[in-house]
Amino acid sequence: MNCPLEAGENAELLLDYCNRKLDPRVSSILEGHLAICPSCREFARNQQAVWETLEQWEATPVSADFDRRLYARIEQDIGFWQRLMKPLGPARLRWNPLAAAAACAVLLMAGVMVDRHPSAPVVQPAKDMAQVEPVQPEQVERALDAMDMLSEFSHRVKDSTDAKM
Amino acid sequence: MGGAVTALDLDTDLMLRVKEGDGASFGVLLDKHRSSVVHFLFRMVQNHAVAEELAQEVFLRVYRSRSTYEPTAKFTTWLFRIATHLALNSLRDGKYERAQERLDDDSKEMPVRQVRDARPSVEQSMVYQAKLDEIRRAIAALPEKQRAAVLMHKYEEMEYSQIAKVLSCSESAVKSLLFRAYESLRARLAHMA
Repeated sequence: MNCPLEAGENAELLLDYCNRKLDPRVSSILEGHLAICPSCREFARNQQAVWETLEQWEATPVSADFDRRLYARIEQDIGFWQRLMKPLGPARLRWNPLAAAAACAVLLMAGVMVDRHPSAPVVQPAKDMAQVEPVQPEQVERALDAMDMLSEFSHRVKDSTDAKM
Repeated sequence: MGGAVTALDLDTDLMLRVKEGDGASFGVLLDKHRSSVVHFLFRMVQNHAVAEELAQEVFLRVYRSRSTYEPTAKFTTWLFRIATHLALNSLRDGKYERAQERLDDDSKEMPVRQVRDARPSVEQSMVYQAKLDEIRRAIAALPEKQRAAVLMHKYEEMEYSQIAKVLSCSESAVKSLLFRAYESLRARLAHMA
């Protein structure tokens, strides 16, 4: 077998061997190599040491009231959506083919009108106009998270106001 | 997320029941994965309170997404994808620095649970605590993705393919991440064993 460290391929075999996840057949082949390769032997010894050291890091237990807090948040969440959807009433769940057809027709007409509208002259951007930075997907995710938090915050503020009233 | 889900993925089955309105199945999923999610997040952000807050958000998002849930991957892949996303955001938002400031306070909070011996002497406790601090600092020093990969590999015993799906990268990229991460850890921790 080629030396995993020198060849730079199948190096994960050494990791798996040290983590005792390697297939016994491959394991015995690798052990044959370890017997003649000091650098792989050194690697394996150090990796096993790290593995055993990491095992000493036990996580702290989960708080006893974790579920209670979670279910309270879920209840709050459901309450928020119910209040939001209340004005629409039970009709929101019904499939109405007539309404759907009307909506499609409106969309189609809007599309036709936009298509017929004469295109506006293309304005060349002035040199001194502000340049818009491209938005990265991570920025969008963060913005969505921030919106989630704001929505939850406003919901809690409303709840506390309701409670006071 | 791609890949077919085997019929043996009971979690997926439970999540599909949640989708149909079975709240008890959500309870079963919570029971099954609560600890692993909290522990993963704790090791990522290294602060117990922040980890629990993030874990709550993970399960809340799972519950919120129940109606749109599609079993396109293993349930745990999806779960840890949400957890990793939240942990990385939290670290980038700077909560990590605040967590680090409280690291010493945290260590004092629950020293007994973090030491293996149930009744250690004061000296043993101090030695273990010093070791633990060194492990935590070594993990914290890893780049975020390497840290997530090591924690999923070491403590959650995930396969390379599953870690790749969680981190949205190729399997070979995960192997490379892990190799570099363990290289750093070997340099910092090998003397401790």
